[in-house]
Amino acid sequence: MTSDTSFLSTLSLWWKAPQRYFRQELLPLLADLRLAILLLLAIAVFSISGTVIEQGQSLAFYQANYPEDPALFGFLTWKLLLIVGLDHVYRTWWFLALLILFGSSLTACTFTRQFPALRAARRWKFYTQPRQFQKLALSTELSYLTLDQLKLGLIEKRYRVFQEEGKLYARKGLAGRIGPILVHASMLIILLGAIMGSMMGFTAQEMTPSGETFRITNVFNAGPWSAGRIPQDWSVRVNRFWIDYTPEGSIDQFYSDLSVLDQAGEEVKRKTIWVNEPLRYKGVTLYQADWAIAAVKVRINKSPVLQFPMALLDTQGGGRFWGTWTPTKPDFSEGVSLIAQDLQGTLLVYDNNGNLVSTVRAGMATEVNGAILAVDQLIGSTGIQIKSDPGIPVVYLGFGLLMLGVMMSYVSHSQVWALEGDGRLYVGGRTNRAQVTFEQELIGLLEQLELTSQDKELNAIA
Amino acid sequence: MDLITLQGWLDNCSFAVLFVTMLIYWVGVAFPRFQGLPALGTAGMAIANLCMAALLVARWVEAGYFPLSNLYESLFFLAWGITATHLIAENMTRSRLVGAITAPVAMGITAFAALSLPAQMQVSEPLVPALKSNWLMMHVSVMLLSYSTLLVGALLAIAFLVVTRGQAVELRGSSVGTGGFRDSRYRLQRTDKTDKAEVGPSDPDALTQPVVALNANGGNATAVLNKAESITVPASKTQQAAQLSPQRLTLADTLDNISYRIIGLGFPLLTIGIIAGAVWANEAWGSYWSWDPKETWALITWLVFAAYLHARITKGWQGRRPAILAASGFIVVWVCYLGVNILGKGLHSYGWFF
Repeated sequence: MTSDTSFLSTLSLWWKAPQRYFRQELLPLLADLRLAILLLLAIAVFSISGTVIEQGQSLAFYQANYPEDPALFGFLTWKLLLIVGLDHVYRTWWFLALLILFGSSLTACTFTRQFPALRAARRWKFYTQPRQFQKLALSTELSYLTLDQLKLGLIEKRYRVFQEEGKLYARKGLAGRIGPILVHASMLIILLGAIMGSMMGFTAQEMTPSGETFRITNVFNAGPWSAGRIPQDWSVRVNRFWIDYTPEGSIDQFYSDLSVLDQAGEEVKRKTIWVNEPLRYKGVTLYQADWAIAAVKVRINKSPVLQFPMALLDTQGGGRFWGTWTPTKPDFSEGVSLIAQDLQGTLLVYDNNGNLVSTVRAGMATEVNGAILAVDQLIGSTGIQIKSDPGIPVVYLGFGLLMLGVMMSYVSHSQVWALEGDGRLYVGGRTNRAQVTFEQELIGLLEQLELTSQDKELNAIA
Repeated sequence: MDLITLQGWLDNCSFAVLFVTMLIYWVGVAFPRFQGLPALGTAGMAIANLCMAALLVARWVEAGYFPLSNLYESLFFLAWGITATHLIAENMTRSRLVGAITAPVAMGITAFAALSLPAQMQVSEPLVPALKSNWLMMHVSVMLLSYSTLLVGALLAIAFLVVTRGQAVELRGSSVGTGGFRDSRYRLQRTDKTDKAEVGPSDPDALTQPVVALNANGGNATAVLNKAESITVPASKTQQAAQLSPQRLTLADTLDNISYRIIGLGFPLLTIGIIAGAVWANEAWGSYWSWDPKETWALITWLVFAAYLHARITKGWQGRRPAILAASGFIVVWVCYLGVNILGKGLHSYGWFF
C-alpha cells in the first residue's frame, strides 16, 4: 500500500517537473513581448531575403549569379545560399519553425496577458478615497457639480454608468479590450487553415483543346492526405474556348465554356469561366489560367476539312508563336508552314525555303504553290488550373475574425470615476489608446456641465 | 468641357496648390507670430484634396472604371489619401507641425506624377484581363488608403522624434493603458499656495511640459488647452490651499498619441486590404497566398507596424524607441508601394515602366 502511494507520488513528481518548467521557464519566455517583437521583425527580415534573392531557379542560375569569387557581400556564395535554403525561403524548415514559434508566442500571450487584462477591465471598482484620484493624470475636484449631473452627461457621451451612494464608475469601449484577443485567435485560425490546406489539398493543371474532354490527372502539388480528394468519378468537357480582343487588338478576356460530365457522360453542370470567374464542383475549383493554339482546320483545293495540330515554337523569348506544316500536294511532296500568334484568325504562310508568301484569315482562302488553301478555323486550347483546398473555409473564417478584431482594436477603453465628499466632487478618468480625444471629451464635458449649472444659478437668482 | 484638358489642368493645379501650402506651413513654423497662416495652410490642403478628388472622378467618368489602373492614378490617389489623413490629424492635434511635415510629402508625390512621369504613362489604359474584377476597387483602394494613413502616422512619429530630441519620454496610450497616470512631477502637494492653485510646470519653455505653458507663451497652439483656467475657477471660489487639477497632455504627448491613433487607423485598413487581395487571388486563380514580392512586402509592412504596436506596450521599450520603429515604417511603406514594382517581378508589376 505504502509502496503504491510512493509510486504515485514519484509519478506525479516526474510529471510536475516538466509542468513546472513549462509554467515558470517556458511560458514567461514565450509570452515575453520582446520575443514577440523580435519574432515579428525576424519574419519580416527573412521575408525580405525571399523578395531580393530569386526563388525557385535552377542550380545554374545561382552558380552564375552568386559566384564563389567574388562572393556577394563577401560571404553569399551559391553554395551557402543553397545550404541555408535561400532559394526557397518560405518553405525552409527554419522559416516554418519561426512561424510555429510565432504561433506559440501568440497563444502564450493570449492566456498570460490578454485574458487577465480583459478580466481586470470587467472587474472594476468604485473609488472610495479622494487620494485615489491623485494618481490619475486627468483628475480634478469640483464644487459646482453633482453626481447626477455628471451621470447624465456621461450617459449622453454613451458611457455605461454604475452608481452607488456618492460613488460613480463609467466605462465605454470594452470592445477595445476584446479586439486584440480576437486578432490573436484569428491569426491562429489562419495558420491552422493554411496547414490543413497544405496537408489535404492538391493543385493540378490541364491544357485541353476546344471540344475535348479531360479528367484530372496532371496533379503537380499534392498534400500527403490529399489522395482521396482527387476526383475520379467525373470529367470536364471543354465545349469552346475563345478570346475577346479589344478594338486595338489587345486581349480583353479569355473564356472557356465548360461542362461537368458524370461517369455516364451526362452533363451535370455547365458554366462559362473566365479570369476572375471560376467553376466550382464538389469542392474542386477550376480556374482560367492559360491558353494555347491547339490546331488549325484547313481545306486544300477540294479536299475534306483537315485538322493539323499546331505546336508552340521556340523563339528564345521572342514572343509566343504556334506553327504547323500543311501539304499542298496530295503526295505530301510540297507544302507550306502556317504560323499564328493569337486566335484573332490571321495566319502567316511560309514556303519551304522560309519566305513569307501570303497571309490568310480564318474563313478565307489564298493561293499557294498553285493550290487553293482555305482556312476554316483556328482551334484554341484552354489552360485550366484545378485546385482543391479544404482549409479555405477555416482560412476565410480567420480572415473575417481578423478584420473584425483589428477594427475593434481601434476602440479605446475609457473609464471615469467620481466620488462625492466634503461638499465637492472628485472626478478622474483614463483611457488606454485615445488620450487626446479622451482629454477633449472629459474636459469638454466638465466645462459644459459647469456652464449649464451656472445658467441654472443665474435663473434661480432671477 | 473636355475631360482630358480638365485633367491636365487639375493635376498641375493640385501640385501648385500643395507647393504653396508647403511654403505656408514652413513659414508658419518658422514665424509662429503670424496668426492667419495655419488656417491658410489648412485651406490649401483642403483645396488640393478637392482638386485631386475631381481629377480622379474625371478619370473615372472618362475610363468607366475606378481609376487605379496605372502608376499615375495610384500616385494621385495616394496623395489624395495623405491630404485627407492630414486634415484628420491636424484637426485632432490642432498643431501646425503636422502640415509642415505632410505637405512636402504630398507635394513631392504630385510633382512626380504630374511632372516627371512620361506622358504615355499618364493616359488611362484599358485594364488587363486579370484586373477586370470588382475586387480591384476593393483591394487597391483600401491598400492605397492604408499606405497614405500609415505614411502620415509615420511622419507624425518623425515629428515626435524631432520635437523630443535629446529628451527621455514616457509614452501614453497603448492597448494596456500605460498612460493615464500622473507623472511624479505633477503629484499634488498639499502646501500653502493660495491663489495659484494650478499644479503647473516649473519650466514653461520645454516642449514636454503641459500645453498650458505653451499657450501662455504664445507658442505652438496645440490641443484644447486655453480652457485650463476654467477648471481652476472653483479653486478661487473656495479659496482652498491646493486643488486637484488635471495634468494636461503636452505637445510631444499629443503628437505621439495622434501618430499612434493614425497608425491604429492605417493598420486595420492594411489588414483589410491584404485580406481583400488574398480573397481575390483565391477567387481568381485559386491561391490566397503565393509569396509574390508585392504581397510579401505588404506582409513585411504589416509585421513592422505590428511590432510598433507591441513595442508601445513593452516595459522598458517605451519612449522614443517605438517612434523610431514607426518612422522606419515610412521607408517600408515606400518600398512596398514602389520598390517592388521597380524590381518588375510578380503579379503586381503592371502600370509601371516595364
